[in-house]
Amino acid sequence: MSTDTHTAQTSPRARTTTGKGTSFGRTLAAEYRKFSTVPSSLVLLLTTLAVMVGIGALAAWGIGSMTESMANDPEAAAAMGGDPSGMADSIASSGIMLAQLIVGSLAVLVMSSEFTTGMARATFSAVPKRFPVVLAKALLVAVMAVVVTVVSTLISALVITPILSSYSMEQDLASEAFQRNLWFGAAYVAVVALLGMALGGLLRNSAGAIVTLVGIIFVLPMVLSFFANDFISDAKRFLPDAAYSNLIATVAPDGGLEHWQAGLTLGLWALIPLLATLFVIQRRDV
Amino acid sequence: MIQATSLAKNYGAKRAVDDISFTVQPGKVTGFLGPNGAGKSTTMRMIMGLDRPSSGSVTVNGRPYAGHRAPIREVGALLEAKAVHKSRSARNHLRVLAATHGIGNRRVDEVIDLTGLASVARKRVGGFSLGMGQRLGIAAALLGDPHTLILDEPVNGLDPEGVLWVRNMAKDLAAEGRTVFLSSHLMSEMSLTADHLIVIGRGRLLADAPMADVLSGTGAARTRVRTDTPAELANALAAPEVSVTTTGPDTLEILGVSPRDIARRALDARLLVFELTPLQASLEDAYMDMTRDEVEYHSGPVAGPEAPREPGRRASK
Repeated sequence: MSTDTHTAQTSPRARTTTGKGTSFGRTLAAEYRKFSTVPSSLVLLLTTLAVMVGIGALAAWGIGSMTESMANDPEAAAAMGGDPSGMADSIASSGIMLAQLIVGSLAVLVMSSEFTTGMARATFSAVPKRFPVVLAKALLVAVMAVVVTVVSTLISALVITPILSSYSMEQDLASEAFQRNLWFGAAYVAVVALLGMALGGLLRNSAGAIVTLVGIIFVLPMVLSFFANDFISDAKRFLPDAAYSNLIATVAPDGGLEHWQAGLTLGLWALIPLLATLFVIQRRDV
Repeated sequence: MIQATSLAKNYGAKRAVDDISFTVQPGKVTGFLGPNGAGKSTTMRMIMGLDRPSSGSVTVNGRPYAGHRAPIREVGALLEAKAVHKSRSARNHLRVLAATHGIGNRRVDEVIDLTGLASVARKRVGGFSLGMGQRLGIAAALLGDPHTLILDEPVNGLDPEGVLWVRNMAKDLAAEGRTVFLSSHLMSEMSLTADHLIVIGRGRLLADAPMADVLSGTGAARTRVRTDTPAELANALAAPEVSVTTTGPDTLEILGVSPRDIARRALDARLLVFELTPLQASLEDAYMDMTRDEVEYHSGPVAGPEAPREPGRRASK
């Protein structure tokens, strides 16, 4: 290659700008800028916050009034099987079941919109090695999921404090139950987000990936519970939703997974789809 | 410099690009011509590492595109379809691409001014016209001030001012010693812009030659003659190697005699000639000759599906 003549002919303006290339940090900065410059990101994050706080408040009100009526009627309390005030520490996280879907859908869009808008051509022209883009997106959606879950759980806890106290209940933010709900909730939403992002990259279609995500999180546990088969009820424990329920319980349920097994299960629900996406995006034409 | 070696791409059973080899040299504008579906865009995507070749290879400035540390400083590309998220603003789109290479906002604003997007830079791209989208694509291609530019249909949707701007830009960049590779289906535009032509049809290389050679390759030059006495002039010129076509009541197109000889014989026969124009074969003619059997989608006659499909005659002239 006659590089000598080539550079000799190039204008000085062109030469002064060489020597600065791509890096993971720069790819991450670009991905963050992408995320923050489309309105849907902010809308969906605020929706998540509203859902977490709203459902938390509703749950606090519901459980509070139940506790009150049981205090007045000991027979009913016995029939319900115990004192619901012990649930106070998990009320702030009640919205996670819905919030995970919003965050999951947002994570789907982070990846699938590349392909539905054609942006992928620009993205992978700028970073032709491709895997840094996938890793940057993964890091971005995981951090985004953890931050939005933690922040909205804490705000939810703040909002429900006066509601609970009006029913003379109290939540203890330092309790193991609250801490488990807070951190494992955040980790669970991050896993759902990573799964969603991976599905967005595998299917390259927003609607398809969101439906698949809902299927795995909501529909699959329901469908499997129709079967009494031993193998299936065994398998059910390894669904992300079941692993999450296991992790937030202060004591691992009898006959269920140990906490560490549930944690590992959740981790694999994020890792395996992510590896599949890395592999597929690396190989497929854009 | 772009170097393709035995490049091929299959989509299932269909061979979109069939074993083509070519070199795009720096310092000149190289045009890339071919009918719809000939494999132009596929070839350009393979150069950019977006599509993986089924066999063969292509390098840019001596390396596969993905092997460069700063790819958008090496190659800037405008690919045919819009590659922009609709709800992002033009400026933010460019800032995203700039961020991958640590390119500052100054350069972003520079290319925005350069491409005439200043007034719409903060508007969302979804509302852009075809021409504005095209300008944004060109801005993105120029962002890294690259040595090599790949432009797929750059004048698509541009107004006449924009077409002229792209033409001058392509020539200026080539004059600075850069490699400029552009495809266009506008033959007249191509003949004004390109110095060198690569023509493909049905995925195969049909021509790789300087523009002048492609043009002169299309038979002998013709001459248009206007006279009040076309029949007499045709008689005076009659010879086995000469062909005379009447193209108007007082107009003839003559093949096989030079303008000087036409004038001499008209003078000998005392015939008045009031126009004598040497006709350069148009790029369109040359192109049609080359691609006659290679067009993917024939424009068949409108009447009835049974009508025999004549291989690619020009639909209009």
